Amino acid sequence: MTSTSSSDRIEIDVEINGRRRAVVVNARDTLADHLRNDQKLTGTKLGCEQGVCGACTILMDGAAVRSCLTLAAQGDGRSIRTVEDLSEGSSLSPLQEAFKKHHALQCGFCTAGFLMSATELLESNPSPTRDEVVEALSGNFCRCTGYQTIVAAVLDASEQIGNANG
Amino acid sequence: MDNPHFNSPPITRNMIGKRVPRSEDAKLLTGRGRYLNDIDVEGQLHACFVRSPAAHGRILKIDTSVASALPGVHLIWTSADIESQCAGMEAQFSADGCLPMTMPLLAKDVVRYVGEPVVLVVADSRAVAEDACDLIGLDLEDLEAVLDPRASIQGGPVANGERPDNVGIRGHASFGDVDEAFNNAAHVVSALYHPGRVAAAPMETRGCLADYDWAQDRLKLWVSAQMPHYVKLCLNLYLGFDESRCEVISPDTGGGFGQKAHVFPEEMLMPLASKHLRSPIKWVEDRRENLLAGSHAHEQFVTIEYAANADGRITGVRTHALVDGGAYHMPPQTMAVESWCTAAVTPTGVYDIPATEYVYEAAVTNKCPMGAYRGVGYMAGTLARECLMDDLGRKLNMSPFDIRRLNVVPEFPWTNPQGIVFDEGSWLETINVLEEMVDYPAFLKRQAEARKAGKYLGLGISVFVESSGESTGMLKAHGMHEIYHDTATVKMDSSGSVTVTSGLNSQGQGHETTLAQVAADVLGVSFESIVVDAGTSTKGAYGSGTVGSRAGVIASGCVNRAAYAIREKLVAVAANMLESSEDDIVLENGMASVAGAPESQVSIADVAMAIYWDESLWPVGFEPEMEFTKAWDTSRPMFSNGGHAMIVELDPATGFVNVEQVFSVEDCGVMINPTIVEGQIRGGVVQGIGLGLFEQLVYDKDGNLSTTSFLDYQTPTMDVSPPFEIRHLETPSKISASGVKGMGESGLIAAPAAVLNAVNDALAPFGSVLYELPATPEKMMRAMQGLVDLEGPEPWSKLWERAGVEPRESGSMETA
Ligand code: FES
Ligand code: FES
Repeated sequence: MTSTSSSDRIEIDVEINGRRRAVVVNARDTLADHLRNDQKLTGTKLGCEQGVCGACTILMDGAAVRSCLTLAAQGDGRSIRTVEDLSEGSSLSPLQEAFKKHHALQCGFCTAGFLMSATELLESNPSPTRDEVVEALSGNFCRCTGYQTIVAAVLDASEQIGNANG
Repeated sequence: MDNPHFNSPPITRNMIGKRVPRSEDAKLLTGRGRYLNDIDVEGQLHACFVRSPAAHGRILKIDTSVASALPGVHLIWTSADIESQCAGMEAQFSADGCLPMTMPLLAKDVVRYVGEPVVLVVADSRAVAEDACDLIGLDLEDLEAVLDPRASIQGGPVANGERPDNVGIRGHASFGDVDEAFNNAAHVVSALYHPGRVAAAPMETRGCLADYDWAQDRLKLWVSAQMPHYVKLCLNLYLGFDESRCEVISPDTGGGFGQKAHVFPEEMLMPLASKHLRSPIKWVEDRRENLLAGSHAHEQFVTIEYAANADGRITGVRTHALVDGGAYHMPPQTMAVESWCTAAVTPTGVYDIPATEYVYEAAVTNKCPMGAYRGVGYMAGTLARECLMDDLGRKLNMSPFDIRRLNVVPEFPWTNPQGIVFDEGSWLETINVLEEMVDYPAFLKRQAEARKAGKYLGLGISVFVESSGESTGMLKAHGMHEIYHDTATVKMDSSGSVTVTSGLNSQGQGHETTLAQVAADVLGVSFESIVVDAGTSTKGAYGSGTVGSRAGVIASGCVNRAAYAIREKLVAVAANMLESSEDDIVLENGMASVAGAPESQVSIADVAMAIYWDESLWPVGFEPEMEFTKAWDTSRPMFSNGGHAMIVELDPATGFVNVEQVFSVEDCGVMINPTIVEGQIRGGVVQGIGLGLFEQLVYDKDGNLSTTSFLDYQTPTMDVSPPFEIRHLETPSKISASGVKGMGESGLIAAPAAVLNAVNDALAPFGSVLYELPATPEKMMRAMQGLVDLEGPEPWSKLWERAGVEPRESGSMETA
C-alpha cells in the first residue's frame, strides 16, 4: 500500500459543466477545493466542510454529492455539474426563475446547494409532492429564508417545467 | 435640537410598496455572487490560528520551532510579536455600570476560553498553515475554569483578571412607584427564564483579506462585516493606520444576523501581518472556529415579576437580567448590551404598566464572548415578559388573548415609565388580528379533541414592540450621548440614469432593490434607471452599520434626502423649461410635467441633459451640481410592532415538538417591499424556532464546547420549519421617509416566547410549565413526567444588595 503525502499530485480526467479535460489535482484537495481554487468555479460554496450543511452540493453523474466530502481525485472519469451550468445562455432556468419569483434566497450563500439538490430531485421526479420536496431538501441548510419560499419555488418550477414539456 | 438632517421630504409612492423582484438575485442564482472567499489577490498567503484548547490556563511555553521549519510557512506570531503594535481592543458600553475590558488580538500570558486565538500562522496555503498549527506546542498550566454565571457574578474564582469581581456590567433603575404596586397587589407572579446559549451561525463564516501596498502606503481590507466603516475606524484606533489610507470593502455577504457586527482580533491581525510580510493575506475560518469563537448570543437568566390587581391589570414589573458574558467584551457590542437591553428596554413592552424597576448584570465567565445576534436583549426580555403574561393568564383563568387585551396600551401617544414616548402603533389590533387568524374557538375545540386521542396540541402567542431603526433618537431616549452617522450619495447622469450609494451594506436583506424603489419614487424615474451600490466600499457613503433593524429606515432616509436635493434641481430647471412655477412641477414616470396641464411636459432625461450641458435652460443663479451626499437620522425613537402565534404538536412518545403553523402580524409602517418584509419575518421566526426547540451550545464541566459542528449544533432544517400566514398592519411613522419602520429583528425577538408558550400549552395536561429553552425532546420527556428543573429566582433583597439599592420590603409573594 502506498501512502500519499501532502504534496502529492494526481492526474484525473473529468468532465465539468460539459467540458472534458485532463487536470492535475492535489491529492489532499477536496472536489470543492478543486472546483473553487483551480477551476475558479466559485459558485459552489463551503458552509461547514463537515458534510452537514449542503452548501457545497454538486451533481456527479446526475447524483447530488457533497463536494466538501469528496476528494478531487474521485472526480476521475466522472461528469460534474455545478451551479454555473444551470442557466441557459443569459437567461435564468425555470428553477432559478422560480427562486427569484418566490424570494427563495436572501444572502444567497446556501442557494447553489439548494439549486443542485432540487435539480437532482426534479430530474428524477419531475412532479414531486410537497413532502417529497421537503424530504429531498432537508439536508440543505438555509439560515435566512425559513424555507417556506424554497419549497414553493421548487413546486412552482416543477409545474413550469412540466408545462413547458407539454 | 431639530437638525435639518432629521427632516424627511415627502414622497409620492409608486414603486414603494410593490413586490419588486430583487435585482440581486440573478447574480446570486447563477453562482456569480462574489463572497469573501471567492476573492483572490495575486500572491496571497493564507492564515490559520492555533486556538486555546483550555477554558482557562496560564501560557507556560509556545514552541514554534518545528512549525517554522515547515516549507511554505512565512510567519508565526504570538502575542509577544504584536504587543508593540496593538495593545488589544478595549470596549465599554455606555450604559450605567459598564466596566471596560480589553480583548487581546492574541492571548497574552493567559487563555480565557476554548477557541481563543493564541498563535497566528501564515503560509502558502490554508492546508500548509493548518499543518503548521498542528506542529506548534502549547504548554498550559490549568487555571480554574469559571463557568457558572450565577456563581461568578457573586465573586469567587476570577475568569478574567481585568474584572476581579467577574462583573462586566451592573446597574439598576426604578421608575414609578414599584413598591406601592407590589405592596398593594392582589396577585404577584414571578419566574426565572433561561434561554440557552446560541450562535447566529450565518451560512458564510467570518473572514477577511488584507492587502497592504507598501509603495503607496495603502491598505485594502475585504471583510465579511456588517459595520465596514467601524472596521475602518478600528484600523486607526487599534492599529494606527490613517483612515484615509484604508479602504474596507464589503463583498457579497452570506448572512450576518449580528455576528458580523463586531470587530474581531483576526480582522485586526491580517492588516498587521500583510504590512509585515508585504503580501496579501486571507483568513477564512471554518465552521468549528465559527462556533467556538465567532461570538455567542442570547443566553441569559431573566427573573421577572408582575404585580397585578384583582382583575389582572399589571401595576408594576420587576426585572433582573443576568447575561453569561464570556471572557471579554466583544467590541463594540460588549456583553453589557444584552442584559441592559432586557432589563431597561423590554419589560413593559406593549402593556400599560405604570411602574418598572430593574437590575442588570453581566457575569464574566471562561466561555466564548457574548455578542450580538438578531434582537440583542429584546429576545430574552420578550420571552420573559410574554411567558409570564401567560402564567398570569393561567392563574386568572383568562385566555392569552384576553389577558393581553386587558393590559395592552389603549391609546397613543403613550409614555412608558422611563419617559420614552411611543408615537403610534397597532398594539391592540395585533392581538385581535392574531386571535382571528388562529380562529381561537376552533383551535380550542381541535385541541380538546386531539387530547382525547392522545395528541397534544399547544397554541402560543407573543406580541412585541421593537425599536425600529436604531438611531440617535433611540440612544437619547435612553440617556446615552452617542450619535449615529449615516449618509447616502445620489447622482444623476446627464442622460438621466441614477447611481445611489448607501453607507449601509447588505447581508442578504436586499438593499440594492429597496433603495432603488425609494430613489425611483423621490425622483419620479423608473426602477430600472437606478443602480444601487449598497455599501460595498468605505470609499462611498458613510454608515454606522447594518444592525438594530435600521438599514431600511436609515438608508432610505438618507437616500430620500440626497435624491430630494437632485429633485429640487430637476424641478427648478423643468419649471424654467416649461415656463411654469416650481410648485406645479410633477416628476413621474420619467417625465416632468405641469400639474393640471399634462401636455406641458419634458422628459427628466432632457432636464438632466440641460443641467449638464445647456446653460440657456437654467433659471437665474442656478447651481448645477447633480451629486449629493446627505445624512439622515431621527431625533425621536421609532417603534414597529406585531406578534406571532404558533400551533405546535408534542409527540408524547418521543418528546419531539413540531411547529405546525405560524401566524405572524407585522406593523412596520409603510413597507418598501412586502416580499422582503415577509422574508425577514420567516427567516427570523425560524431562527426563533431554532432557539426555542433545537439550538444549544453546550460546554462540558471543563469548559470545552461540545457542539462544534452543525451535527451537534442543530439549526432548523426544512423538515422542521413550518408554513406561515402573514398579515400586515400599517401604522406609518411620521418621521421616516414615506412612513417606513424597521423590522429586521422582529421574528427572532418574539418567536421564542411564542414557542415556549405553545409548548407550555401543549404540556398543560401534564401539569408542567417549562421556563427554559430549547425545549428539547429530553426536556419534554421529563416535563411530561412532571419533572421540570425549575430554579427559583434569586430573592430581590439579594439582588438589591448586589446592585447597591436601599433594601426594603419586596412585597413579592412566593409563587408555586
Ligand atoms: S460545506 Fe459541504 S456539507 Fe457543508
Ligand atoms: S439565503 Fe442565506 S443561507 Fe439561505
